[in-house]
Amino acid sequence: MRKMLSLLAVVVLYATIVSGQTRTVTGQVKDAKGDPIPFATIKIKGENTGVSADANGNFSINAGPNATVVVSAVGFEPFEVQVGSSNTLSINLSNAGALSEVVVTALGIKRTRNQLPYAAQSIEGNEVSKTRISNFVTGLSGKISGLEIRQSNSLGGSSNVVLRGVKSFVGNNQALFVVDGVPYNNDNTNTSNQLTGRGGYDYGNAAADLNPDDIESVSVLKGAAATALYGSRGSNGVILITTKKRSRGLGITVNSGATLGFIDKKTMATYQKEYGGGYGAYYEDPSGFFLYRDVDGDGQKDLVTPLSEDASWGGAFDPNLMVYQWDAFDPESPNYKKARPWVAAANDPSDFFEKPVSFNHSVYIDGGSDKGTFKLGYTRADDKGILPNSSITKNLVSLGATYNITDRLTAGVAMNFSNINGKGRYGTGYDDKNVMTSFRQWWQTNVDVKELKDAYFRSRKNVTWNWADPDNLVPIYWDNPYFVRYENFENDRRDRLFGNVNLNYKVTDWLNILGRIGHDTYDELQEERQAVGSVGVPIYSRFNRSYRETNFDLMVNMDKDISTDFNFKALLGTNIRKQHTKSILASTNGGLAIPGIYSLSNTVNPLNAPDEFDGRREVDGYFAGATLSYRNMLTLDGTIRRDQSSTLPKGNNVYYYPSVSLGFVFSQLLPQIGWLSYGKLRTNYAEVGNDAPMYSVLDVYNIVPPFGSEPTTTVPNTKNNPNLKPERTRSAEIGLEMQFLKNRVGFDITYYRTRTVDQILPLAISTATGYSFKYLNAGTIENKGIELSINATPVQTTNFSWTTNINWTRNRNKVLELFEGSDNLVLASFQNGVSLNATLGQPYGTIRSSNFVYKDGQRVVDEDGYYVFSETSNEVIGNPNPDWIGGINNTIKFKNFALSFLVDVRKGGQLYSLDLAYGFDTGLYPETAGLNDQGKPVRAPLSEGGGVILPGVTEDGKPNTTRVSAEEYGLFGTDFVPNAGFIYDASYVKLRETVLTYSLPQSTMARLAPFKGIDLSLIGRNLWLIHKNLPYADPEDMISAGNYQGYQGGVYPTTRTIAFNVRLRF
Amino acid sequence: MIKHKIILSLSLIVLVASCTKDITSLNNDPKNPPVVYSYSLYTNAQKNLARTLASSNVNLNIFRLITQYWQETTYLGESRYDLNTRNIPSNAWQALYRDVLKDLDAARALIPEDVEDPAVQKNQLAMLDILEVYSYYYLVTTYGNIPYTKAMNIDSVFPKYDDAKTVYTDLLRRLNADIDALDPAVAGFGSADIIYGSDIEKWLKFANSFKLKMAITIADEDAATAKTAAEEAAQAGVFSSNADNAKFVFKASPPNTNPLWEDLVQSGRKDFVAASTIINNMKQLDDPRIPLYFTEDAEGDYSGGEPGMSSSYGTFSKPDEKLVNPEYPHTLLDYSEVLFLLAEASERGFNVGGDAATHYANAIRASILDWGGTEEEANLYLLNTSVAYGTASGDFREKIGIQKWIALYNRGWDSWLEWKRLDYPELQPAYRANSAIPVRFTYPVNEQNYNTRNWNEAASAIGGDKVDTKLWYDKF
Repeated sequence: MRKMLSLLAVVVLYATIVSGQTRTVTGQVKDAKGDPIPFATIKIKGENTGVSADANGNFSINAGPNATVVVSAVGFEPFEVQVGSSNTLSINLSNAGALSEVVVTALGIKRTRNQLPYAAQSIEGNEVSKTRISNFVTGLSGKISGLEIRQSNSLGGSSNVVLRGVKSFVGNNQALFVVDGVPYNNDNTNTSNQLTGRGGYDYGNAAADLNPDDIESVSVLKGAAATALYGSRGSNGVILITTKKRSRGLGITVNSGATLGFIDKKTMATYQKEYGGGYGAYYEDPSGFFLYRDVDGDGQKDLVTPLSEDASWGGAFDPNLMVYQWDAFDPESPNYKKARPWVAAANDPSDFFEKPVSFNHSVYIDGGSDKGTFKLGYTRADDKGILPNSSITKNLVSLGATYNITDRLTAGVAMNFSNINGKGRYGTGYDDKNVMTSFRQWWQTNVDVKELKDAYFRSRKNVTWNWADPDNLVPIYWDNPYFVRYENFENDRRDRLFGNVNLNYKVTDWLNILGRIGHDTYDELQEERQAVGSVGVPIYSRFNRSYRETNFDLMVNMDKDISTDFNFKALLGTNIRKQHTKSILASTNGGLAIPGIYSLSNTVNPLNAPDEFDGRREVDGYFAGATLSYRNMLTLDGTIRRDQSSTLPKGNNVYYYPSVSLGFVFSQLLPQIGWLSYGKLRTNYAEVGNDAPMYSVLDVYNIVPPFGSEPTTTVPNTKNNPNLKPERTRSAEIGLEMQFLKNRVGFDITYYRTRTVDQILPLAISTATGYSFKYLNAGTIENKGIELSINATPVQTTNFSWTTNINWTRNRNKVLELFEGSDNLVLASFQNGVSLNATLGQPYGTIRSSNFVYKDGQRVVDEDGYYVFSETSNEVIGNPNPDWIGGINNTIKFKNFALSFLVDVRKGGQLYSLDLAYGFDTGLYPETAGLNDQGKPVRAPLSEGGGVILPGVTEDGKPNTTRVSAEEYGLFGTDFVPNAGFIYDASYVKLRETVLTYSLPQSTMARLAPFKGIDLSLIGRNLWLIHKNLPYADPEDMISAGNYQGYQGGVYPTTRTIAFNVRLRF
Repeated sequence: MIKHKIILSLSLIVLVASCTKDITSLNNDPKNPPVVYSYSLYTNAQKNLARTLASSNVNLNIFRLITQYWQETTYLGESRYDLNTRNIPSNAWQALYRDVLKDLDAARALIPEDVEDPAVQKNQLAMLDILEVYSYYYLVTTYGNIPYTKAMNIDSVFPKYDDAKTVYTDLLRRLNADIDALDPAVAGFGSADIIYGSDIEKWLKFANSFKLKMAITIADEDAATAKTAAEEAAQAGVFSSNADNAKFVFKASPPNTNPLWEDLVQSGRKDFVAASTIINNMKQLDDPRIPLYFTEDAEGDYSGGEPGMSSSYGTFSKPDEKLVNPEYPHTLLDYSEVLFLLAEASERGFNVGGDAATHYANAIRASILDWGGTEEEANLYLLNTSVAYGTASGDFREKIGIQKWIALYNRGWDSWLEWKRLDYPELQPAYRANSAIPVRFTYPVNEQNYNTRNWNEAASAIGGDKVDTKLWYDKF
């Protein structure tokens, strides 16, 4: 922090020197015919605030001589002019549509909107950086049609980024990130146990390492035609990030902000307050609900909570009943050997969460002149989570420069250094290191978390509520949650260098050659621990992984007007990609010899050999493209790429990806229609594909730890295939783009259809073959969908404007073909007999498990009144794919205030909740207690009027009239209800982000030299979960990014955040 | 000129990059071997086989619960025969086919490359084949029709199922061939054989003893075949003392420990207590093995939880401490079991020497001694009129059934197979059981998913893919 302050001082000093000559410049904005344009926006380039022209187009602004003024008005092309020495500016804007805004497309090629024959959507960098969240990827949610972002509620967790639906059964379906033309690795190292909800940490995804302050724009290429030039990698769509590059002058921006986080209680469990710990009435005391031991030594047996039991199906609360609880056995507790009234805890697990304050600071300096440009940015984010002892610190440095060696030759370098330090990431899934597993599934409602906190901090020992027995004070299933957070924590670190050096030579005005070497390299370390005294085996493990990717590019670009009517663009290039991943995972064996020392040498039993991985991939590509456009109206575009991949067998490793696109700006032919500002029709077809995962061609054996001195080896579970060929995605789209009323209202609609065929998949086969999987080319998935973006500016006056952007996406996914003879492919098996599948004729990701048996649409009960389960746990019970997703983004500007808010909607899609399947079983939730239809306690014996009649019919179709007892645990949970009973609708409506910014007015700024602008922002994220149908949890939360969606277990509540940020510009 | 230099230097970038000659070579995994020694696969298969049979993991081996040796304390699904939630039939099937049989299969293919001496090759192939037969025995007696002729064939990823009886006949044929092939004068796998350290004499006895077991298994269904095989086996020489017992001794250090230690000690969980069924039976008989099998309960006595009912861990007896030592061996076949088989063979009129009563008494004695009891305890126990063969109630099925059930404690899978066949002891279904006590496992859910056509065929051939479908040899 101190270092940063001194840096700041230098920056401020420098800024004062260079920006002393600001003065007022006035001007008028007119259209091509010379008529004034009202209410245009005038800004200094590289800065955010600006002024508005009046109704007659007149404006005045403070600017230095080197400043560039940018003028924009709805329906017109933006216009830039350098201020120079004059004090007045006359500005003429041309109508938009003739040469609209520039969109960055594949390989960094810029295209005007008229010459863009496929779907691409851009947003400004400010859109992703303004909320000051350290993972910019989540900031894209709801802002791009066709893009589905799912995020987890865990600190630093991964984001699932899928464009136009899942295309590959088991392969990677995440969009490719490309930064300044160089692929940016977005790997996620989460283990298969983590992904299937069996514990482990979500280490996030690597795209979150990028400095959001360095992002100039984000351009999303959705379809294959747009991405075909990327070859194998483009099949899932591309997110192109262009970093900042200032052409003139110097800018310094400083951001400083603090964020307060707190949980949304609607997404946390609510507990019943009638019954305490236990599973029923079968313990030792006469009532059966309690243990019966002489705790105080008076020779009389006393009531003791059944400590080992992680459920709340015990004795009814009664303040007159004195019971020895978990802390009565803790010698350091004030309750030691004291009985306490049997009542519900004053502080339930929702009081476990903290209200953390996080900080985000950044400095960004950029400048440019005739000789070149440079930039230097530093962002530091200290994020703290809602769980005790959780933090992620990020240091992000971006550095870039270009130098014009000659008029025609430019050298450039861009570097991003990032250092991510995580500590105490949240445990996920079904695990003793995930406190939510216990809080949502296995808990005693009589246990007070504040008392657990005191117990832990008094001794720093695992004083848990869940002792094995009063005579055996070891934890049985669950540790003290504070012990988990402070002793069994993980830590991790990733150091990354990403960047490129390039040379750009302009041979002539129309011919350009680019050579570039891009490099992405990072090393990461993940250390996990389980302390001595925890449940389970104490362990220390470390995972080291390194990733290296180098891309060598050579590209020749041509752009020539071959006649007044025709423009011809051509592209010829080569890309060589080399990837190398190495990892090693080592852990202690059988426990830690000395408590508190986390070292591999501190192992109880001799160390087993660590797991190693060493894999390389090389893809050599050649590509060519040509674009012919006629009068900026008709554009025909074709590309082809040839890839040769190392992961495919010889003979099958060369393949071609073609694309062809046509765009027609029909509004050019209709100038007479005044209300039509712009109209374009586009259509295209492309084929892209995927190579195989590393090491799926040749067979090997695995070495397992020796049996004593006898070496042991085994045949792997997956059979490789020397005949694999590339998988292919065929994609067609048609789109219509229209703007009306001088671009005040418009829409962009696209219909697409993709089919992914010859999928490379480890097909699950009969294990009677001796294998679980065999690599094959098999299966077809189809995605069909509609993407719609609507933009509107309902109000536009001098002082007030309102713009709105709506993005809507509907994707329909269907498994068309599987390997012959098989009609289902199990993608993942989750806890409790639930699986995720690709089922023939169904959308990808069907949830299968046990179902009810139905008669005439009614659930069937057996002769005892309990639900009948389906014979197998193999029935389709849910579909996680949403009907549609959408986002509504509004920006309202009033004078110097700007308010933007984003409402994010997901309609439909289902999930299975393990939390509720178990939590209802163990009686944590209010639904499991209270009164029944007869007004009697539902958990009372049948003889006392308790129990319930489960809604349903008997096997002969008559309404069920048999009352069943709820004295025993499990009636409402997984023991007596098929898993279909825990499928929930995952729809939600969220107020995702709200940003209120006040920019100090120009008049004030004039007195505040050297500042060019001061913006104060109040930023809210996830403030309001407007609607959901899933009780006690956030339907959006997921275990990890990846293909396994639709399953929740041990999920975290949503964190609401409110941030305050100051932005200073010099 | 400068233009050419620039273009040249840009081209260099590409030249630097394309120095890899043949990118296909990157498919060679530097960390995993393309070929290994056959014996390392054999050892692994033995270990996996022993682990599968020894396990008490609720996802894999719940036979101690089904046979009512043990009872779950709190989470009662498996005690109530819920096979689906944890995919138990899939896991057991996978453990034998993929983790045992596949490694054996791969070892068989490598032996000719590893071993020069054809005589050693022959011994090794026979040792390996015996374990295959042994593994298939559990599959075919647990599921019924199974993939056999088309199993272990990667070109047939959805294999057809073979008729159970046909499979069984072939297994017997193979076992005979293995017995003929074994040559005690020649080496085997050396120390890679964990069970007998490649003592071929012991393997011969093991093969004959197992042949006897296979014969008696089908005695109700095919008495003629059973008679021939049993008599041949007895003639050739079966186990003659506890020293012959086939035990797989685990190691002290993970991952080579006895899975019981992992499930019961290392996990820190308190999932199991004794079941009332076995405790009550043994108490009634005043069985000297009670303290060898179980710990004392809270009252200093022995007691067990009722099958299917929540059972407080603190209240009841637990599996004895020595069972949960990490190195505790798992018994694959023992002398006591062989004697029970001989007793049964005598009762069935097979000419295996001796008489049923003697074999029966010796079987009980061998069990008590093997469990660490004394001769005196055994003698005293055999005087009990409810134990002694002459006075114990019921026919041979009941007498042998009950004593064999007690002797097979901790070998849940074997005990379940014998209980199905002998129908004694008369077990009652657990409280709130999902079904009748299973007499077979349903086919794995993956088979239903992937191998649908063959699964359907197999299911209808055996009379329905249900837990209460009786298999071909289970006549009563």
